Amino acid sequence: MNLGVLASRSLVRNRARTVLTALGVAVAVLTFVLLRTVLVSWTASVDAAVQDRIATRHKVTFVMTLPKHYAQDIGKIPGLGPSTYSNWFGAKDPNDENEFFATIAVDPVSFLEVYDEILVTPEDRKRWLENRRGALVGDMLAKKKGWKVGDVITLTGTIYPGDWQFEIAGLYTATRKSVDRSTLWFHWDYLNDALSDSRKDQIGWISTRVRDPSRAADISKAIDTTFDEMEVPTLTMSERAMNSSFLASFSAILTALDVVSMVILGIMTLILGNTIAMGTRERTGEFGIMRAIGFRPRHIAIIVLAEGLIIAALGGGLGLVIAYPFVEQGLGRWLEENMGGFFPFFDIAPETSAMALGLACVLGLFAAILPARRAARLNAIDAIRRIA
Amino acid sequence: MIPISYNVRSLAVRKATTVATALGIGLVVFVLASALMLAHGVQKTMGKSGQPENAIVMRKGSDSEMQSTIEDPLVGIILSASGVAQDASGKPVGTAEVVSVATMDKFGTDGVSNVQFRGVRDDVMSFRPEVSIIEGRMLSPGTDEVIVGKQVRGRFRGLDIGQSVDLRKNRPVRVVGVFAANGSSFESEVWGDLDTIRAGFGRMGNVSSVRVRLESPSKLDGFEAAVEQDKQLGLEVLREDVYYEKQSEGTSVFITAMGMVIAVFFSIGAMIGAMITMYAAVAGRTREIGTLRALGFSRFAILASFLLEASLLAVVGGVVGSLAALAMGAVKFSMMNFTSFSEITFSFTPTPEIVIGSVVFAILMGLLGGLFPAVRAARVSPVQAMRAG
Repeated sequence: MNLGVLASRSLVRNRARTVLTALGVAVAVLTFVLLRTVLVSWTASVDAAVQDRIATRHKVTFVMTLPKHYAQDIGKIPGLGPSTYSNWFGAKDPNDENEFFATIAVDPVSFLEVYDEILVTPEDRKRWLENRRGALVGDMLAKKKGWKVGDVITLTGTIYPGDWQFEIAGLYTATRKSVDRSTLWFHWDYLNDALSDSRKDQIGWISTRVRDPSRAADISKAIDTTFDEMEVPTLTMSERAMNSSFLASFSAILTALDVVSMVILGIMTLILGNTIAMGTRERTGEFGIMRAIGFRPRHIAIIVLAEGLIIAALGGGLGLVIAYPFVEQGLGRWLEENMGGFFPFFDIAPETSAMALGLACVLGLFAAILPARRAARLNAIDAIRRIA
Repeated sequence: MIPISYNVRSLAVRKATTVATALGIGLVVFVLASALMLAHGVQKTMGKSGQPENAIVMRKGSDSEMQSTIEDPLVGIILSASGVAQDASGKPVGTAEVVSVATMDKFGTDGVSNVQFRGVRDDVMSFRPEVSIIEGRMLSPGTDEVIVGKQVRGRFRGLDIGQSVDLRKNRPVRVVGVFAANGSSFESEVWGDLDTIRAGFGRMGNVSSVRVRLESPSKLDGFEAAVEQDKQLGLEVLREDVYYEKQSEGTSVFITAMGMVIAVFFSIGAMIGAMITMYAAVAGRTREIGTLRALGFSRFAILASFLLEASLLAVVGGVVGSLAALAMGAVKFSMMNFTSFSEITFSFTPTPEIVIGSVVFAILMGLLGGLFPAVRAARVSPVQAMRAG
């Protein structure tokens, strides 16, 4: 009989406690996985951002626009691929004012060229390009709102006041999971033609592909230097840098989630340590007898450590088994459908599972260290006497 | 009843176990209380920005001041509407302001973040008496001078006294003073002369919002009717404190919900911890329980005694957790407010309700965790218990 078997036998003795402890570990692992997944999927937009796309906007503030001729001027700068321009439209569904989805005015042909991760069927594409008030809608948004191709919808503008009619011309999906599939894109011309002279021919930002992604920073600088000579200075950043600066404004929340995910590990360690300590205390006499019949202190220590490891691994495994259906089927689908802008996809990363299970095992061992030392140091005579 | 000292001593004897379990509960309480304190901090910071006797007028349909546009000629119409208070010289008390955001380099991160700018008239201090210059001086009207709120000062490039920021090409605005505003969200803003800020953000000829002081809060309805009756104007009136409440809603609901969800998950773990401890306590004291029963204590007394012991354990944890959360009061928490897209600094603000509520939550965890073990204790048969072991 080896020491591992001894350890598992002692765990079976107090079944209720072992099961409870494993459950405690499982809940902790589930929570840990959930929190890490929130963090990972929130920051996914940065990691998944296209490397070779840069955006140029007003230097001082995103609220202000650029003159439209900038979209042509930018083409003179060497090293650039295709470019397109857009305006943040900011409309709401009058029937549900609290709901958020992005509405953006784009130049359709160049938009689909620059944003090649947007997938549209040839029929939808044709229909959208031909219909001036046509809108291309993410399939997630269409499903949520119950919109079908051919529907005419009315949205209320916030930045551009008034009622605006759009006809759903097509749906899009995406080549990558990290792309938001709940945006409404429509013709920039449709917006521009309706504006008064003072607001006409203005664009929010220009997106441009660069041929060599490693030169993105240099090219961004070259663009800003060029426009510094003109009426409105610009700020050009890679899509990745822009996303990460957006995330930086939530950095405090991300840090808080990080800390909190560590707190649950602390709670788990306390539960584990408590269980192991109680188990060894109750078996003081047995350890004395084991010592008396020839077990060495390290044998005792190994038994106690093994108990910690086994129970943590059991609980951790159970936690993961619960976490997958819970996070990926239940909560994840809900978040993707309702908060797609924040969480374009919500899946447990393999590293997260490995980390959760690994940490549970390490902390199981860690929690057993003190009880193991105490048990190993017992003097056989004292230990036996204590129960006599 | 079995005296409490019996439970206290029992807990004291098993020091390590008691501490481990109480700490587990304490950590849960810490997380819950911190989240609630932060959510309250958000509400309070935004809430202080609004006064019930003030009304804010914006373009209809605007979620925030930043989106709203009011043409200059309308400002006079709004100020002369009925219900607006007048000062000693008979001038209506009100202020038209322009609000926008600028992207600035944030120290301590490699990124940029948005800071809210407000263009104000020189009489702003009389409209907002809670605002005071704490360093440097007030900006001079009609110049490129700005003053910065104490929460943004030094946190962004160029936002400290003597430094400057380019709003327009080669037209820097200079920081000449730092202001405090009673902990409100204004402290996370930069204020400049109305025309300077309008020029900087291309907003000549219009403002974002008009605020007026009402003769009394009850005059709101009359004022609202006067301003909104002309549909052509397309304006909307809100009480100022209601407006700020709406501004903070998204953020504070988000934090509260997140804190609650996390606390519920965590509390399951802590309850299991308490359950394990209490089961062990019951198992280890079977003979004692048998003796107590033999002495004449009822099953109910045993049940109550063990439930009491579990709640004592939880109270220790709850108090420790709440104290730790109170210590978070020293931490400043800066995050983006969802409606204004600009960063605002919040603090963890405790209230008696939050502290008491957290401790009650801890006791609940203890009671729930201790329930099954206590029932088992109450079921111990005196004869068998004393015969056993």
